Amino acid sequence: MRTRITLLVLALLLMAVPASAQQLFDFLGQTVVPGNVGGMLNMDSIMRDPAPGTTPIPLDFANYEYTLVVMNLTLDSGDGTSASPQNYSGGMLVIYEDNGTAADYANPATFHDGTAILIGNLTTLNRTMFTATLGSAAGWVDWTGGTRLDDIAPVDQLGWPFLTGISARDTNVEPGYTEQWDGKCEPEEPIVDTEDISWGSVKAMLR
Amino acid sequence: MRKSLPFMALLLVVAFAIPAFGQASAIDYYGFAWETGGFPPSDVGDVLVFTGVGNAADPVFGVDLETEELTFYMYDLASTGSMDIGGGTLMINYTGGYLEIYRDAAMNADWGISPPNPTSPSTFVDGVLFFQGSFNAMTVFLNPAGDGSYEGSLDGIGGTMIDDVCTGCVYTWGGNFTPPSGAQIPDGYDIQIDGVFEIEEAVSTEDASWGSVKALFN
Repeated sequence: MRTRITLLVLALLLMAVPASAQQLFDFLGQTVVPGNVGGMLNMDSIMRDPAPGTTPIPLDFANYEYTLVVMNLTLDSGDGTSASPQNYSGGMLVIYEDNGTAADYANPATFHDGTAILIGNLTTLNRTMFTATLGSAAGWVDWTGGTRLDDIAPVDQLGWPFLTGISARDTNVEPGYTEQWDGKCEPEEPIVDTEDISWGSVKAMLR
Repeated sequence: MRKSLPFMALLLVVAFAIPAFGQASAIDYYGFAWETGGFPPSDVGDVLVFTGVGNAADPVFGVDLETEELTFYMYDLASTGSMDIGGGTLMINYTGGYLEIYRDAAMNADWGISPPNPTSPSTFVDGVLFFQGSFNAMTVFLNPAGDGSYEGSLDGIGGTMIDDVCTGCVYTWGGNFTPPSGAQIPDGYDIQIDGVFEIEEAVSTEDASWGSVKALFN
């Protein structure tokens, strides 16, 4: 029995791919912040290749544009100051893959076209403004859908930090938006890809 | 203040560029930082160092990030200590310090672990010095949950990007995230940073007619 357990552990170790690089979905975007409790926060952003880091699932930045959007995040409480951060819940986060229309802040629909490769629930988010124009926000995402959901093992789909800096300087904000957000969504630890391998191959590696 | 032709040309191109980053000409970057003695706390005299990479740049900079990298190195930022500004939020002001950006075809940036180490900052300071600036202000804010932000302004003092000095012409801001926020941080680093480098002076570039632009090159 001890031998079988040892062999199984060895096999699992051999199938795992070392993950040393930082993994993140890096975005820079524009946000509309609600003025009152009950209002909705929405963000449109463009994702960038984070090399030398990597995206948590492989993406083809050479041939596709990737947009990351936050939709319908509801303001539950707070005024956004350090003493009273805003608390949000119930939003959706979607990553789109598109090679047709370039994202353009003058036309927000261009951020919502293409294939929804990942869809998640932005379960909570806290937004704090430290000055009139500088702040940060932190939340948590559970991935629940999208064409690439199965690229992430079920155990890795929950509890991804969503972190962003916030600038409300006039020079950074596009018309129709209220803030610029520069941030990321990432797993707390690098996730590993799966690799199909036959039992025969596994056994062969242990001979 | 006189500016040489390359810098003027840069500003004029900025005036007609599509503002992919907002209204300013900017480079988006991210990376990791460490502070002597660890962070937090940030004690008086602790020195903050950051190494990072640019992962998007306005076309005006003329950099192809598919074939070359822009690497960032902030150093010699001395903490004046942290102050609780309410709700457990810390504000930390820094004095001194420099920001350098290097343009490098080696594509070899590597944070490694436990900086300084054989690859950080060395792989972030190789190549051509694209920009060098001295901070005239730098402030970091940090929530108890580990997320925060920072902003700083700089004078440009060197590098091929500006070809001359400029005062108060650069602004940088971004988010900073420590382990309680859940951020991935290589061993030995204290903070994950995601920021934007902006040429402020370009933002205020005056409108010019095409005739005026052409006249500059006649």
